[in-house]
Amino acid sequence: MSELLRIEGLSKSFGRHRVLLDFDLTIESGRVYGLLGRNGEGKTTLARILMGVIPADAGGIYYRGRKIPFLDSAYKREFGYVPEDPFFDEEMIVQGSLDFNARFYPRWDRKRAAEDIERFALDPKARIRTLSRGMKLKLELAMALAASPEFLILDDPTSGLDVPTRRDFLRDIIRELAASGTTILFATHLVHELERIVERLLILHAGRLALDEDFDKVKAQTQMNLEDIFVSFVSKD
Amino acid sequence: MFGALFIKEWKQKALTFFFGLGILVLFLLAHLALPGKRDLLEWLTYALLLLFFPFMALILGSSGFESEFRNGSWAYLFSRPINKATIWLAKYAALLSMLAALWLVFLALWLVFPWLSELAGGTRVLLGFIIETGFPFWSLLQSVFLLTVAFSLSILHEKQSNILFLSLIVGLGLTVAVWLALNSKVGQNPVWSAPSKAITTFLVSQILIALAFAGASILTFARSDFSQAREKTLSFLGRTIPLVVLALAGTAAWAVLVPGPGERYLYSIGASGGEPYYITERGVFKYSATKNRVQWLAKTRQIDFFLGSVSSGKIAYTAFDIRSKTDVAEELWVANSDGTGRKRVLGRGSRESGWPAGMPMADLMISPDGAKIVLLTQKPAKGLAAEGSPLWILNMDGTGLENLPADPVLLGLPTEPRAYLHFVSWVRDVHGFLILQRGFATPGTFRLWLYDLKSRIARIVLENGVTASWQSPVSPGGDFLAIKYQKTPGKPWTLALLDLKTLETTDITGGEDRVWSQISWDQKGDRMAYIVRRAQASGPDVYVLAVYSVAEKKTIAETVMTSKEESALLYSPTWLKDGARLLILDRPESCLKILGPDLSEVKRIMLPAWIRLPAGLHVVGDQALVEDEQTYTLWRLDLNKETWKKIYQ
Repeated sequence: MSELLRIEGLSKSFGRHRVLLDFDLTIESGRVYGLLGRNGEGKTTLARILMGVIPADAGGIYYRGRKIPFLDSAYKREFGYVPEDPFFDEEMIVQGSLDFNARFYPRWDRKRAAEDIERFALDPKARIRTLSRGMKLKLELAMALAASPEFLILDDPTSGLDVPTRRDFLRDIIRELAASGTTILFATHLVHELERIVERLLILHAGRLALDEDFDKVKAQTQMNLEDIFVSFVSKD
Repeated sequence: MFGALFIKEWKQKALTFFFGLGILVLFLLAHLALPGKRDLLEWLTYALLLLFFPFMALILGSSGFESEFRNGSWAYLFSRPINKATIWLAKYAALLSMLAALWLVFLALWLVFPWLSELAGGTRVLLGFIIETGFPFWSLLQSVFLLTVAFSLSILHEKQSNILFLSLIVGLGLTVAVWLALNSKVGQNPVWSAPSKAITTFLVSQILIALAFAGASILTFARSDFSQAREKTLSFLGRTIPLVVLALAGTAAWAVLVPGPGERYLYSIGASGGEPYYITERGVFKYSATKNRVQWLAKTRQIDFFLGSVSSGKIAYTAFDIRSKTDVAEELWVANSDGTGRKRVLGRGSRESGWPAGMPMADLMISPDGAKIVLLTQKPAKGLAAEGSPLWILNMDGTGLENLPADPVLLGLPTEPRAYLHFVSWVRDVHGFLILQRGFATPGTFRLWLYDLKSRIARIVLENGVTASWQSPVSPGGDFLAIKYQKTPGKPWTLALLDLKTLETTDITGGEDRVWSQISWDQKGDRMAYIVRRAQASGPDVYVLAVYSVAEKKTIAETVMTSKEESALLYSPTWLKDGARLLILDRPESCLKILGPDLSEVKRIMLPAWIRLPAGLHVVGDQALVEDEQTYTLWRLDLNKETWKKIYQ
């Protein structure tokens, strides 16, 4: 498998709080990565840096071998992003938001967007500020999928979803995407859900990757489930 | 991408726009319903221009990123494949277009109802300051400025009211500071800018400061971490402060360096050693025949553009000391023709030598040996008794200042108190000089006086006579002065030569020919080209170019050039290096013409289109210099290659 994304020496601090410390990671295309970490360990920070929402203090990100400067925006046409807390222009309506986003993504799939809106039972005419957090997450997900991304970053979105949607999301959508060759980085702290889909396991701890290994291999070596593996790594110190 | 963001912003802020539109509709209704209440309508118009538009701009500008902060949707925008600068610009453009739309509505009212211009147009006074452009322009400028400042600041904080207040303080504070600085004076003189330039300088300051804020805001927006408010604010300040300082420095540079209306000039003060000398608003330069380029002799501002004299390797000129605490003080400076030995010989610090403070100068002339300067001062002047003489003489090094006694009749007293005196030339081996006296009475009186330095007595050499041209009427050897005089007052001028040794005159023209004030001596002083206007038996008068030979004492060639006065006015005939051909300028035909010895046209060289108002022809070797009276630039033509080059701008 070919390298899709490489992160080298990434560091980020918020005031005196150092979140990422000389962080390295290589992501190969077509795989599902599960990123585990405790609260405040930097999963969201990493996702936001990858999406160019916030700048890193140091380090570089390479997409398909090309370094991405913070000011670059073109690469995001191939990235999908579902954040933990959905952030929308609250005054827009659902369909308006989809139409607005459609202009920025060359591979925008209007049919898929319409299907997902229907699948998630979203009213296209509903104003976003009237939607619940779960509904907003569904809209984020619909938008991310409609962009037909090469690389999808899911920043712990399932915690706000209802159980049927979560199951639907994990069982069908993620598998479907993985089958179509989309690379997925799924950051979460809900280990049971991740266990069903993860191919390569990443554990973030103390600003660095404590583990970067194929999940099946780790599981075979440790004879533990994902929760125990995670706990064993983050409680080492 | 830009369009989508632009439309989104319009949709988001439509309510604010319609609020503004509603105010304008109310304003219109008030004018329609209360046509007789002029005072009230005037105040409403003032309120609209001085309060509504600036505050509307502040409201729009400060709302810039308010919703993004409120919803946290800045992260939403940042995570899309949109250039951050595009986001900033699209939002700014949308808000600016809203303000522009409101302005267009107001301008439509302005055009439909002419009384609005009576209420607020024309020169106005605001808080003691003269607003020459009227309130609408002022208000438009201020509102765009305030919108830009407020929008730039809106990236800093989520509360629109805080941003609005901050913008008001910062925007108006900087405006007032710049305005006060532009109007600050030392003594009676503006420190930074001439009053005529104050509005343009102010406009420049507003544009530069707005750009400084916008630049700092875009950079912060694109590069900073919006999740860390303190870091973002510090980053913004770190960019804004140097950029605003740069903007203020740019404004100061503009005020000092860029000439305003009426501040530019390019004035030839004559030639010496075949090299023409020019005085400009930036200093004094000559065109060097050896270096083939402009050579600055003194770079100094506030030069009096009329007063300069060159002779035998020396130059003298006057300049103002505008920083004088009492009045504009005039100074006399001298230098060698290579720019060395520059020295102030009169002005500040020379009062001990007998020079009255603040004495305005009217004319000056260096002696042919470069040893002395004669000066004419204006009357009455502070420190100079009404009966005092305006004639002065001093050595080139500033010593030996002497107030020369003058005949009251020379001064135009008592019959013509406004007589104007002008130096013409030195005579008799520097033992005297000629002065032209012009009376302002009707009909005008003209006299040529000889001032004898030995006897200190002036006597009239010629009645009803003046020099034949303003510049270079004296032959290169200093033997003859071209003059024109009226044998009978009111009759046509006769062109004549005045022998500067014997003071005898020889007529060149006669009959009904009317002399045109353009003469040109060849380099040896053997021949003189001149132009006369000649009446025809039928048809319009014609203008004749002719050449007079001193040796043969007659006109040796002449040709009818044109019947158009506008052509003849600017021919400026100038001898070429060979002394046989003449170069003339034909402005209506946009060309220079080379005329052969028989004055027939030999060659025509077209003027480049970017010389707007050609004038002032000089020939230096194989080069011809042409002044542009509109742009105050100097152009050089290589007469061999026929190529043009701008050598002063």
